[in-house]
Amino acid sequence: MMDPSAGFVGSDSGKTSTPMMGTSNQGNVTKRLQSELMSLMMSSTPGISAFPSADNLLLWTATMTGPEGTPYAGLTFKLTFQFPTTYPYAPPTVLFQTPIYHPNIDFSGRICLDILKDKWSAIYNVQSVLLSLQSLLGEPNNASPLNAQAAEIWDKDPAEFKRLVIGRHRDLSDEEILEGLS
Amino acid sequence: MAFEPSQEEMAEMQKLSNDYEPEVTGPLVSELLPSSAITTEYANADPVYQRKTAALPHKYSHYRTCRGDGHCGWRAVAFSYYEALYNTGNKSKFYSEEARLRSLGNLLNQVGFPEHLYEDFAIEAFQLLQETAVAMENNDGGAKLLAAFNDESLSMSIITYLKLLTSAYIQTHPDEYSPYMNHGQSVQNYCQSSIEPVMSEIEHVGMSALVEVLVKPAGMAMEILYLDRSQGEEVNTYRWDPVDGTGITVSDPSTLRLLYRPGHYDILYKMEPLPQSAIAQPQQQPPVFVALANAIDSHIPQTIGFSDYAIPGLSFVSPPSLGWSSMTTSTPLYPSAQSPCYDFAPTATPIAAIPAPAPSSNLVSMPQHHANSSGSSAEVGSHVHTHGHSEIHADLNAHGSTHTHALAHSQSHSSHPHTTTYAHTPATMALPPDFLVSGMQPEIPQTPPVGLSLGTPSGLAIDRGGPFRPSAWELKPNFSAAGLGGVPLQTAIFRNSHYNTAHFNNPDFQPEEWSPETELPVHERPRKKSAH
Repeated sequence: MMDPSAGFVGSDSGKTSTPMMGTSNQGNVTKRLQSELMSLMMSSTPGISAFPSADNLLLWTATMTGPEGTPYAGLTFKLTFQFPTTYPYAPPTVLFQTPIYHPNIDFSGRICLDILKDKWSAIYNVQSVLLSLQSLLGEPNNASPLNAQAAEIWDKDPAEFKRLVIGRHRDLSDEEILEGLS
Repeated sequence: MAFEPSQEEMAEMQKLSNDYEPEVTGPLVSELLPSSAITTEYANADPVYQRKTAALPHKYSHYRTCRGDGHCGWRAVAFSYYEALYNTGNKSKFYSEEARLRSLGNLLNQVGFPEHLYEDFAIEAFQLLQETAVAMENNDGGAKLLAAFNDESLSMSIITYLKLLTSAYIQTHPDEYSPYMNHGQSVQNYCQSSIEPVMSEIEHVGMSALVEVLVKPAGMAMEILYLDRSQGEEVNTYRWDPVDGTGITVSDPSTLRLLYRPGHYDILYKMEPLPQSAIAQPQQQPPVFVALANAIDSHIPQTIGFSDYAIPGLSFVSPPSLGWSSMTTSTPLYPSAQSPCYDFAPTATPIAAIPAPAPSSNLVSMPQHHANSSGSSAEVGSHVHTHGHSEIHADLNAHGSTHTHALAHSQSHSSHPHTTTYAHTPATMALPPDFLVSGMQPEIPQTPPVGLSLGTPSGLAIDRGGPFRPSAWELKPNFSAAGLGGVPLQTAIFRNSHYNTAHFNNPDFQPEEWSPETELPVHERPRKKSAH
């Protein structure tokens, strides 16, 4: 684990820094994700679940139910988590696979959430990301929307917003999710 | 008229700008580097920086760079902490620190960090403590520690662990830290946005909390030197001192030192905490002999003595062209472990003790030269006992130790060229200092003030002795090698004359003494004594 030569960068071989750890962190990612999986299975949190894909521990699919008291109540959403080899020192790429109408999520499922970008901390995990996303559904950040129309309607016309959410929602099978990825 | 980029182009440029990351190079933590490199780096910078960086190497001899990848402050503290433990040389200190850090798990739990997530980072930190303790016992010179911190994954684990500790400390001490929050931001919110994120460099609140939770309880002090454009001749220093259980400041703690330049931290080192291995072994240099013109015994060799009398208005600075700097820096001129093949400059009686030195009479002042004839006359330099100022060297029986002492001393104060002391004629003494310094005679006889405190090492000087005006030849570095080959340095005539203190007719008669120390090589002892 601590091979002195492994991570050492001499002062004049400087270019190695950008992909932060190369392969030296591979073992750590695996260990960390296994630990997260274990924890998710041991303490099931209502409304969220996640599991690695069959052949790739760095690719997970997750399921989340819309929180009560929001326009998303009763709906189920599927997401994918793609973990970088530098995980947990870099955030996973999280995408909504289920079509969703939300001020901070675009039509490709990309999410605008600070903890998935510059505020990512190594202490966050799949579970805490899913919980954050759940609360994002109920409390969008309309100050910096990805979907400006949704932000506007959220404020002006809750009934119309709910109609648009239901209209866009469509349940997906796992196969469709994996197809969409490849 | 003007070029108006389209909206798409603007967006494209904005994206490029947002995505721009400066290429960061260099090791995560570098080897020890001489801090004069910092001065060089700023040689063409703003004059404020020039002044401040010029003053830096005087106090802080070395530094380590940390890669400017956005983690340098955290990494600098982490590395310094481990290195300070390493430098204690005390294995139990590692155990006690590990136990203390493990007990801080409560703090992490208290603020709700999931144990299964933070324990990976904590374990790496504990493991590095254990491995560093082993490396310390193996005396690896810190190589293991440096390699560990240059492993990005391990380095990040430890940084993450420290971030979590810091965050937990701030969140459990809200009264201390909430005054620093902006606009009623909660400490928890602050920690989530400014401490815990991977890409968050340490800032003052975080540094302060990290010192409280990690550095001070370990009995260490922290100094941060701020190198910025504020006014002043030196960098501003901010210091935290550890306190013991009763609230009393720990005296003389290990001190972590960081150099802060806006946006970046490096690690600084003062002279004393350097690991032994990092201090270059003094080079052995053959003794430097000089011969004086006009000596009665035409070849009384002289060891050039340096001293650093800090005489206001009388400090002599040799013109650099004379090559003194190369001789005065770094090397002990006195190779203590070698055979004692040099002569020691006979010393002048302190001026006050000279009843009436006759002007320009070599003969009269010769009684101040006393040589023992412990070596054969053909040998280069038998021991010469130093007499005539017993109040100076009263405690130094061994010949050899006297000048070793003085030389070792001057070695550490090499900025002052040697000051020679002579028995002066009153006329010379009356010359104004300016006269003495000026002109082509940098080595004009210089009188130590009578009241100079001679009891301290700094008061010791190698006196040239005799009334001889130094020759320019003395200043040639290789003069001795060229000029003294094979010349007998002590003649039988001299040895048997009353100019020799061993002669009973000598006014400063002192019988030869056998001193066991002179038979053995003079080891480091005298040097240590005067080490600063």
